[in-house]
Amino acid sequence: MDSVTIDTTKIKPAKKKPETALEKLNDTGLINTLLAAREREGMILFSTVDQFINWGRFSSLWPVTSGLACCAIEMMAVTMAHHDLARFGMEAFRASPRQADLMFVAGTVTKRMAPRVKQLYEMMAEPKWVISIGSCANTGGPYIESYSVLKGVDNIIPVDVYVPGCPPRPEAWLYGIIQLREKIKSQGYGAKWGLNK
Amino acid sequence: MNAAEELKQAMPAAVVSTGMLIDKPLAIIKKEEILKAAGKVKEMGFDNLSVITGIDYRDRFEVIYNFFSYKKKENLVLKVVLDHEAPSVDSVASIWKVADWLERETYDLVGIKFTGHPNLVRILLPDGWNGHPLRKDYDMETEQFVTMGEDGEDIVSTDGSNLLRRR
Amino acid sequence: METDELLLNMGPVHPATHGVLRFKLRMDGEIIRDCEIVMGYLHRGTEKLGEMKTYLQFIPYTDRLDYLSAMPNNYAYVKAVEELADIEVPLRAEYIRVLTLELNRIINHLVFMGSLILDLGANTAIMWGFREREKALQLYEMLCGARMTFSYMRIGGVREDLPEGFIPKLNDFIKDMEKRIVDYEQLINGNEIFLLRMKNIGVINADEAINYGMTGPSLRGSGVNYDIRKLEPYSIYPDIDFKACVRKECDSYARYLVRMDEMKESLHILRQVADTMPAGDIITTQKYGIAPMTGAPSAVMTYFPRIFTPPVGEVYTRTEAPKGELGFYVVSDGTTKPYRVKIRSPSFCNLVALPKMIVGLKIPDLIAAFGTIDIVLGDVDR
Ligand code: SF4
Repeated sequence: MDSVTIDTTKIKPAKKKPETALEKLNDTGLINTLLAAREREGMILFSTVDQFINWGRFSSLWPVTSGLACCAIEMMAVTMAHHDLARFGMEAFRASPRQADLMFVAGTVTKRMAPRVKQLYEMMAEPKWVISIGSCANTGGPYIESYSVLKGVDNIIPVDVYVPGCPPRPEAWLYGIIQLREKIKSQGYGAKWGLNK
Repeated sequence: MNAAEELKQAMPAAVVSTGMLIDKPLAIIKKEEILKAAGKVKEMGFDNLSVITGIDYRDRFEVIYNFFSYKKKENLVLKVVLDHEAPSVDSVASIWKVADWLERETYDLVGIKFTGHPNLVRILLPDGWNGHPLRKDYDMETEQFVTMGEDGEDIVSTDGSNLLRRR
Repeated sequence: METDELLLNMGPVHPATHGVLRFKLRMDGEIIRDCEIVMGYLHRGTEKLGEMKTYLQFIPYTDRLDYLSAMPNNYAYVKAVEELADIEVPLRAEYIRVLTLELNRIINHLVFMGSLILDLGANTAIMWGFREREKALQLYEMLCGARMTFSYMRIGGVREDLPEGFIPKLNDFIKDMEKRIVDYEQLINGNEIFLLRMKNIGVINADEAINYGMTGPSLRGSGVNYDIRKLEPYSIYPDIDFKACVRKECDSYARYLVRMDEMKESLHILRQVADTMPAGDIITTQKYGIAPMTGAPSAVMTYFPRIFTPPVGEVYTRTEAPKGELGFYVVSDGTTKPYRVKIRSPSFCNLVALPKMIVGLKIPDLIAAFGTIDIVLGDVDR
């Protein structure tokens, strides 16, 4: 718990309406529980299991490196300094699907690539999420009439968040990522296995 | 005198006719003579084979070779007309290395056979794909799916049931 | 000692293949004995779609061929159609076109530099490259609202006029970029490790390079003094002062240097174009055009017809795209849709030479040599 750098001696449990930034932080969600635990000298932590596990999950999603087409260039732009994906704790792109829990399907999924994408997804360990980026991955996009393009990646793997655009702007990516975080937050941690909803 | 007429003078038996393609000299070559004509073209200083195009005209196929000479800064276009039933023409891959892939691509998408090619297999579409997409009579209705075999090679079928989630 | 040969598969999902390309390598210990390239994992059937769309509808598809340099693709296609239909383009439109083309060349080479050095294992250059790329993209956003897929060129001109305040911003960018290129060179060019990885690696001599169909900066790195902008001048390039950047060393390092030099040359061109931008129409009013609407709110209203039919014929045009010779072979049968569109893509033809370059070297050298021929899979597979 020593890594929490907020000076907790100044924090009182919020009774009145929170005003300062610190009070507001104190008033919300998990950080409150953590700080309360800190006050009790780090011995006890009160939280729901869902809240705690989901906090761990959404705070540091590790995507697998798999660019498919044009949208992958925007993926690079999102990770670079200007848009800075590191803010979401997910700049660690993994070259191996075994170490990743998020997959960006960024680009056109052709018929020939489809089994590979599917295999990549199957190689990832649970829990795992998929964000489908760009019209191509969503529906086939501009290539929907083509003979060699799969009409939407959700035909082969389940998708959590769809981001439209051709290519989506980096801001849209970030919005999509925030949506996924919301989704993870609101899920029961066992939802992926059908335990609770 | 442009390059196409030069070629005609050198090989009157091989050149059917000459003309212009907008601003580029064009020579129509007899199908059997293309390898010899290509050798001559190379001798004439056309060192760059830009592109090989195959076109399906419903009653015939045309294969078009675009050349460029870095030394003389000239263009030359050769054209071969093939019949529609079994289009095949000699490969020029022995003269230009780049022709290897260009011919494979033309074979893959248009379905023209290049005899004497060292390795004439599909390049963009997986082996076993049915039909040549750039032909005018290609069947766009039937969907073909690719799955992966044990050793990672592609298997083409019209049945996507072990790939698709629902159907 | 006798060793067994090992068959090694690399890709199609591999961080160093710039997309979905697959190598089948036959290895003898560390040494590559043979390299077979398997592609087609991004084959989207663009040429077939060309036959199904009208001439104007096909422009967005050209963006998505080489998505790092969409403008030159746009341009190559509209140039082919213009030549086919014999359309004259107003001078201002040509200036705007050259401006966007050269800006895109810079963007392309920035990404090239970044990803090459990322492949070699260093992170700084890609951060720097994308920082400047972002600035250039902001210029494009001012111009046409898109970041990567512009569809800005139109047959007979361009879609929109330069917005207010564009030229001053461009001048700022040029000034900034000049300093940055010096930074890059200081960072990269003298780096021991970089030199060891690049010098005398992936050597291909001039005759072989031509025979293997290499074009563009990769060919100029082999000492062939050629540039289609010089040999077959198009647009306003004859009036502009620039030189073709050539290096004699034939190795990976030479190919890298050519691109760095080209960035400077492009800045030089940009400066000239920005200084001498003429006034006038941005889209043709001739022959196929309708007369400009007086008092129209924007240039888009005074428009080239959406459905137009060029005369029967066929044409092949080549242009100097950032990656090499980009050609379009367009056949018209006198209807509203092209009969056949053939794309001669530079990446596809440059890739032919790769096995030749790397046989006898090691896998890390494959990555280095592969990075310097600068391909994009959308362009290879189409
Ligand atoms: S959605 Fe558009 S930008 Fe993205 S991969 Fe498809 S064509 Fe390219």
